[in-house]
This record gives sequence, structure tokens and C-alpha cells, in this order.
Amino acid sequence: MPRLTVNDRAIEIDLDPVTPLLWGLRDAANLTGTKYGCGVGDCGACMVLIDGEARRSCLVSLAECEGRAVTTIEGLSRDRSHPVQQAMVAEQAIQCGFCTPGIVIAAAGLLARNANPSDAQIKAAIPNLCRCGVYPRLLRVVQQASRAMRGNAAAGATPVTTIPSEGTPR
Amino acid sequence: MASRRGVLVGGLAAGALVVGYALRPRRYALPLPPGRDEVAFDAWIKLADDGVVTVAVPQVEMGQGVTTLIPQIIAYEMGADWRRVAVEPAPPSPLYANVPLASRWAELTMPAMPDALLGDDAALVRRWAQDHTFTVTADGTALAAYEGPARAAAAMARALLCMAAAERWDVDWRECDAKDGFVVHKGKRLPFGSLARAAAALDPPRSPPLRDAPPAERPGVPMAYPRLDLPAKVDGSLVFAGDVRLPGMVYASIRHGPIGESALADYDKTAANGVRGLITLVRNRGWIAAVASTWWAADQALTRIDAGFTSTDRADSATIDQAMETAMQTGTATRLAERGDPDAFLTGRLPLQLRYEVQPALHASIETASATARFKDGHLELWIGTQAPQAAREIAARALGIDVAAVTLYPMPLGGSFDRRLENDHAGEVALIARACQRPVQLTWSRKQEHIVGHPRPPVAAVLGANVDATGRLGGLRARIVAPATAREFGRRLLHADSPRAAIDAVAGVADPMMIEGAMPPYAIDHLAIDHVPVRLPLPTGRMRGNAHGYTAFFVESFLDELAHRAGREPLAYRMAMLGHDPRLADCLQRVAVLSGWGGGADNSGQGIACHLIGSAESGGRIALVASARRDADGVTVDRLSAVADIGRIVNLDIARQQIEGGLIFGLGLALGCSTGYEGGLPVTGRLASLNLPVLADCPAIDVNFITSSAAPADPGALGVAAVAPAVANALFSATGLRLRQLPLLSEDV
Repeated sequence: MPRLTVNDRAIEIDLDPVTPLLWGLRDAANLTGTKYGCGVGDCGACMVLIDGEARRSCLVSLAECEGRAVTTIEGLSRDRSHPVQQAMVAEQAIQCGFCTPGIVIAAAGLLARNANPSDAQIKAAIPNLCRCGVYPRLLRVVQQASRAMRGNAAAGATPVTTIPSEGTPR
Repeated sequence: MASRRGVLVGGLAAGALVVGYALRPRRYALPLPPGRDEVAFDAWIKLADDGVVTVAVPQVEMGQGVTTLIPQIIAYEMGADWRRVAVEPAPPSPLYANVPLASRWAELTMPAMPDALLGDDAALVRRWAQDHTFTVTADGTALAAYEGPARAAAAMARALLCMAAAERWDVDWRECDAKDGFVVHKGKRLPFGSLARAAAALDPPRSPPLRDAPPAERPGVPMAYPRLDLPAKVDGSLVFAGDVRLPGMVYASIRHGPIGESALADYDKTAANGVRGLITLVRNRGWIAAVASTWWAADQALTRIDAGFTSTDRADSATIDQAMETAMQTGTATRLAERGDPDAFLTGRLPLQLRYEVQPALHASIETASATARFKDGHLELWIGTQAPQAAREIAARALGIDVAAVTLYPMPLGGSFDRRLENDHAGEVALIARACQRPVQLTWSRKQEHIVGHPRPPVAAVLGANVDATGRLGGLRARIVAPATAREFGRRLLHADSPRAAIDAVAGVADPMMIEGAMPPYAIDHLAIDHVPVRLPLPTGRMRGNAHGYTAFFVESFLDELAHRAGREPLAYRMAMLGHDPRLADCLQRVAVLSGWGGGADNSGQGIACHLIGSAESGGRIALVASARRDADGVTVDRLSAVADIGRIVNLDIARQQIEGGLIFGLGLALGCSTGYEGGLPVTGRLASLNLPVLADCPAIDVNFITSSAAPADPGALGVAAVAPAVANALFSATGLRLRQLPLLSEDV
């Protein structure tokens, strides 16, 4: 029975060890924030952190997770206080919200290893598909989260967002 | 647009009888009764003793922000504290009838009615929508349908709260106001919660006064109404239909037969032996499902079984292309819109005729169809996200042979839809599976199933022709548009429970005005003619974000651009010269020229321009767009999109901006990908990766400006979708000298 740590809790998942982590999380652990969109690694909606690295949980079996630490969207912070979560809400970089957990995980994984990523690095680190089209806001989100994590901006408080004046490129 | 409904559907039958029927009064029970600590105001608002205002939202949230917009309207009118506003999705009820949509879809909803009886406010339409519990979320009608009733309910609540406070203070209630969750009067204030019970016991004034101005946000002011749904979306706690967890619930996956008349053939169920967690198989005529302790185990079982289907009339690209070509060459056209004297000026072969083609396109919402069901004692509970909830109830009820009243539907949010979830096949499937396995079950379609059953945006072909005088002035324009009667076909499935094949056959050969929407150019052109050639295809087709505008804007704006270049005219000036009658669209064009640094689109600049009007001149939405694009090793790169939109009064500016941005990205997907061929009844593209969908790295820089206006609100959701394909195509002409007249734009190369 595969044993792993999920959101800082040691658990055993009583499923066939070849089962993808995604289904262990969703259907055994009831952690449904991790989404199914394709099952073959195309969409990124199922991303979780495995030992701190953003991975598609549909492509990783439970057996491969033996002894590893998994962080899902539910475990990223206790109170939505992760700087990426804060920035996603502040920039309203969310529409239907289905791809959001995967995008938040991808961005959090990037910032965990690179606190000050370039635009090119952000683009490379977030391959997630979003059909509602929140992409135009994601660079700002990650930049804002990066500043917060580096202490250049107050994290935690609800940011004041101002609607830009006409003619102001966003 | 000049409508030819009367011509198409014949005269009125039994009009007097219908009118009499419309006048019978009805009363409906409140769909969301108040809790023990709450009082209800109309069908929209509940106020709790602790001051929390709960707003009923009768439209499905699929990203478009409706669970913020309707509460915002109520909070503004009522004077509520936005931090204490909660949302409750409202189940389908006649109290939330979407009358404007029933009117807009009159060809589908009331095909035998003449136009004269079908205005937005016509009692007949209202009665039809109420009788059919027609609360469909579609076509950007939420504000048109619900702003008025929501404001009226909030104004009534405010009046009652003011009356309750005035009684305590012994003042005139008309001198009281409500602000931030308090009733206020000359320095005194009382919180809403403390007044709730007293207010609910009063008789409301006959017509409670509305605030002087409707809600409107202007650029440059702080965001006062952030979206209410985002906190739950950013931590994974928002429950979609596939996230429901019930005691004893099991999981189902499904395989459908190929697109065509398919029936399940024999299969070897022993092949699934050894799949741990498999509980049972459920078979039906056109599908087979597996039920297991996880979805993955269920899906594995189906993969091992590899059930076969016998089928005829399978969808196949060769057949589809042949049918399109035959219809273009010899099909009978119906003239659906015209201006001037087309019979004199637009007959026979025109001096310039160009052909455009659009491939079938998949919605590719990231959430696949999913629903959860529990069937017990003859009653079905159904957790489902759907744009057409009453239709979902009816499908489930019909599948089980029970009354629709025995189906309780819990409305869930949608993980994107783009009109895909106007259809509810999975509601009937999950109902049958729940009954067969006698426990709560959750059905989720695999990605491949989503692509097989996901009735695509139809293929379309068009020939646009123009009469141009010696100075290059455009004297007349004619469009011959070949497409299946998709809207009618969809209407048969939605409102008459037709199977996909029956719907195709029911509408074969009938012209469909909804398929040519947006083809009538916004320009002052003397003679215009828009013809539809309906074609029967062996492929069910459906609605998609943007709908007809998603291709008609491409035809018209690509063609106009080409005419301008052929006449040696600058494309912006060429358009402006024909827009003297529409200063709002002209204003969008002029402003987008400034915003984008429009350089005239001359050779090799890589800039292309397009504009589009959706709706009527009075209440429609407008957009002008400049794209900067280039060909490179990867295909097409779009570097920048600059948009200026006029959507009248804007209730929530950032949500409007999301809609334009998102529409541009969605339209970019349609311009460069999303298409599929069909072989043997199956889509060639079973994976998202083969659809060339844009990701962050492909996202152009996007600037969106709005024109401040107090005109009637227009929905922004489809504007970006419509404008982006022609703007990018025109940009690529500028960059490369090549005209791309197919969608997706590079499909000619493939």
C-alpha cells in the first residue's frame, strides 16, 4: 500500500499502486482541488508539488510517490495566504476557476526555486491551459507574488486594486 | 437586420387563443425558502438576523462573473455591505424566466409566432419562458434579463428596511437611506440585521423608488466590487459537479459509440477482471459505463473491454467536405437579410468574389462533462453544472421514466463551457447509472469522450462578392454562407428532446437566421444580400462562444480589408468612410488607432485591423481591434492585441475587461487551432495537445480600453472572439502579403 505525505500528513492510500496520484488524491483522499482535465499531461489542471516541484499528478503513479511529500492546492497555505493565491485574487486572474489550482501550484513551484524569475522563466514554468483566458494577468500575478515573497511588498493583506485609467497599458 | 421570420415560418396560427392563454395569472412558490434566521425579499434576497445578505443567482457561473454581477446590482440598490454579501445558486424556477433569451431565440422557442408578438417584453414570451422554466444562461442575456428584477427586489428590500427604521425613529421613511448595510437618517443608523424581521412584516410600497442611476463603473476608480467567487477558487474549495462527495458514492466512466447511428455490440466483460475496485458495468444502446471505487479504475476497465459499436452514417471529413462543396455549388439559398435593391445590383457573378472556409472547432473546456446522482425511492437528486438546468432535469426524468418534479437539481458551477454545457447528455446517463448500481454515483467523461460527443462549432463556407465602382467605392456586397442549420438543430435537442440524428433530420434544408448573425456589415453599403444555404451533415453541431459572429466577422472584416487594399485605400480610413451613421463604432476605430500606434497597416508592418458590431445599432456592443502578428518557425506569433470596446453602461469594469481579454484569447484559439477532422465517426484530435491552444507563452500583450457610455449595456463576452481572427488574418497579410481565408488560419498549409 503506497505510503506518502500529503499536505504534511502521512497517509496510506489503499488503491492499486499503478493508480495515478491524481485519482488517489481525488477519489481516495477527497482532495478535489486537484482537477482532471485530460489525464495525459496536456492541460496542467492536476498539478501538485511533489517534493517541492510542480508535477502533473495524472502522470505520476502512487507507487512512484512512495515516501515523497505531496502538496496540493488545499495544503499550499492554511488561509489562502500564499503570495501567489493573494496575487491571483488581487489581480482577478481567475474566471471559471477550474484551471486555477494547477496554475497556482505551477507558479508556487517556480517561486520556491527562483524567487525573482524573469518573464521568460515565468512563461516557461506555467504551461497550463486556461480556456477562459486569464493569461494576460499571469505575469503580473507572479511578479507581484515574487515581490511579496522577497519582502518588497506586504504579503497577507488584501491588496487594493485600482482599475487603470483608459490608455494605461496593462 | 431585416428578419424574414414571417417568410420562413408561415403565418400565425390560433393567435387569439394564444393571447388568451397568456393572460392567465400564475403564482410560484419561492425556490429558496428562507432559513430560520432569515427573511426573504422576493425571489432574490434573503436577509439574516446577523446582517448577511444572501443573493439568489439563477444563472450558472462559468467564469463570466454572474455570481458577482447580480449580487453587485442588489448590493448597490439595497445599500448592502459588499463584505457581507453571500451567493446562493438558484434552482430552475419560473420566477427566473429568461425572457430576453426566449425572445432572442424565438426561432427555436416559439417558431410559429410572428415577430409582432415577440418583443422582449411581450407577455406571450414571458408566459412561454415561465411555463418552460426557461432560465438558460446564454448569449450574454444576464443583465438584460435580471438587472431589472434584481434592482426592483433590492429597492423593495431597502424601502422596507427604511420603513422599519423610520418607525423606530418616528421619522418619514422617505428621508432615510441605506448605506454599507445600515439604514441611516441624520446621524442615526441601524444595521440591516436588526431590522430584518420588522421589515419583512411590513407591506411594501406599491412602487419602491429606485436609486437615481443604475449601477455603473467608470475607469480610474478603485475596484469596489471584487469578484465574490475567487477566494473559493484559489484554494481548491469550490465544488464543481465532479468534486461532490457523497456517503457511499462510486465513480463511473463511459464510452460512447462513434458519431453516427451507433449501437453497442458484443464485448468481453471478462477482460475487465482483475481491475481492482471495479463494481459493475452498465450498458445502454449507445454507450457502456463502468462503475468502480475510483474513476481511474472504472476507466481502466473500459479500456480493457474495448467495447465495439456497430454504426452507420458515421461522421467523416471526406463526406462532410463533399456535402459542403455540393451545397456551395448547387445548394438552394434562402435570403435572410438584405438592404437596397440586391435583385438589381447583386445578381450573377460579381466583379470580386472570394471564398472563406471554417473547419469544425471543439470547445475544449478544461472541465469535462461531469454529474453526480443519487436515486432513491423514485426520486433523483442531480448535481450538475449546466447552462440549461430545466433541460437537464427533463433528460434525467425521461431516462428514468419519472416525473420531472421528482428530479431535484443542485446547480453547480462550470469549469468553462463556452456553450458546450447547453447540452446535457450526461444528465440522463448518470441517472441511469445511479439507478443501475443502486448507490450514489459520479460520472465523469474522459477527455476523448468530451471530444467525441462534444458537438463542435459547425464547418462553414462562404463566398463574399462585391460590386466596386471605378473609384474603389463599395456599392454592394453579397454573402452566400453554407452551414448546417446548427441553431435550429440545437433547438430541437434542447426543447424537443430530439436525438442528435433526429435533430439533424428535423431541420434539414431549413435556413437558419441565427447562422448568419453578424454577416450584415455595420457599414453604409447601398445594396446588401445575405444568403444561407443550409446543409445536412453527418455531424451533429452545436453552439459555441461567439456563435455565428465567430466566423461572420472573419468573413466580412477579411473581405473589407482585402477590398481596401485592392482599392489602394488605407484600411482604417476605408472603414471610417462607411461609418458616418455609427459614430460609436467609428469612435472605437479611431481610439484603437491611437492605442495601438496604428501605422496604416502598410506592407510588412504586421498590423491588421478589424471591427465588429454585435446586436442592434441601439443596444449592441462594439469593438475595434488592432493585431500585430508575424509568421515564424512555430507558425504564427501574435505579439500584441489592442482593443477598444463600447458596451454601453458597464456594471463591473474589471469583469468586462476579463470578458474582452478572455474572448480575445478564446478567439485566438479558434483562429489558430481548436479544429478537428473526423474519421470513421471519431474526431481525429482526441487530445488537447493536438488543438494548438494558446498557453501563457503564446499570449500577446493585450491592451483593452472601454468607452464611457450610458447607453444600454451590451454583453462583452463574444466581442473579442469575433474580432480577433480577422484582425490577425489582416495582420498576417500585412506581414507576409498572403491572404489566409481559412480558419484555423494555417489550415491551408496542413
